[in-house]
Amino acid sequence: MEETSAYSVTQKGEGVMSTKKILLVDDSCTARLVNRMIFSQKSNYVLISAVDGKEAVERAKREKPDLILMDIVMPRMTGLEACRVLKKDKETERIPVILLTTRGEEQYVQEGYASGCSDYLTKPVNDVELLDLLKAYLGE
Amino acid sequence: MIGTGDGNRPPIKEGCRIQAAETDSSMHAGTEELRLRVQQLSLREQIERNHFLLMRLNAASARLIQSIEAGDVFDAIAEIIANLIGSEEIAVFDFHPSRQDFSLAWSLGVEADALKPFLCGAGMFGRAVQQGMSQFQERQPEAALLPFEKNLTACVILKCSREIVGVIAIFGLLPQKNGLEWSDYELFKFLETYAAVAIQYQRLQGRQVSP
Repeated sequence: MEETSAYSVTQKGEGVMSTKKILLVDDSCTARLVNRMIFSQKSNYVLISAVDGKEAVERAKREKPDLILMDIVMPRMTGLEACRVLKKDKETERIPVILLTTRGEEQYVQEGYASGCSDYLTKPVNDVELLDLLKAYLGE
Repeated sequence: MIGTGDGNRPPIKEGCRIQAAETDSSMHAGTEELRLRVQQLSLREQIERNHFLLMRLNAASARLIQSIEAGDVFDAIAEIIANLIGSEEIAVFDFHPSRQDFSLAWSLGVEADALKPFLCGAGMFGRAVQQGMSQFQERQPEAALLPFEKNLTACVILKCSREIVGVIAIFGLLPQKNGLEWSDYELFKFLETYAAVAIQYQRLQGRQVSP
């Protein structure tokens, strides 16, 4: 039942729109499923996914996404650690990272911004809010 | 001078009357257009809200199906509640109709010691069983809660073939979640049946003897 690792949601018959690659990082399958469905509303997003921070760093270096949407509490490497690694690397430092997490406590928000993330969103996610934020970062 | 009623109002010329009528008409058309636009936006919002609900239900359903394969139905329930509803304090209880009591089957983020087996009587759990309906704290009078139910947000019954087999107790919500929303109640309805079926399936699978 695991979703495919990457697929394009570009639809035929629409005007030419620049395709944007988004890396979705969450160890929760439910979170990945619902975010994937939210993004499917936009025809020009190509989604790739990772299940922890370590895999996220590897995929980000290899695939150079336009934006990373990442959970915080994950096995192997947390979202905060992954964000710090990405921001220290010349190849990935410019990629905006949005942290998306259940942790809404002030301490986590501060740690999130200290790790170098561009934005911090809390779960449960609101589809309109999320898409608006993505549009803003992707220059749409 | 208009509307002064002093009788000194200057006569309105024919051209002015036509112009006034045109202005009235265009104002009316503008108001009508605005009304239609508001109506249209409201309908669009309804469609989008329903679409979002269906996406969440779809994700929840897909996760439950996956849990049947993986044998992690309680983790799936916890993921659904954490990611789609907004709570990480969850307990699942089995209901024993013959003894009329509950026993803890699984919990996350709550002290298991505080959730010892208890008789089905008063409180939210009792009402859930008596009425055969899920209960929500915001609809309960304070006095009608048992001591350990004070922080209980929802008591979602688990029904399998119309019989109550247990409840999902959802305690505190995440700090950023101010309260339950209409789509949360729809997700609870979904869990009432499908989480119960998935739990029962997993139990039957556990009882199967290998050949």
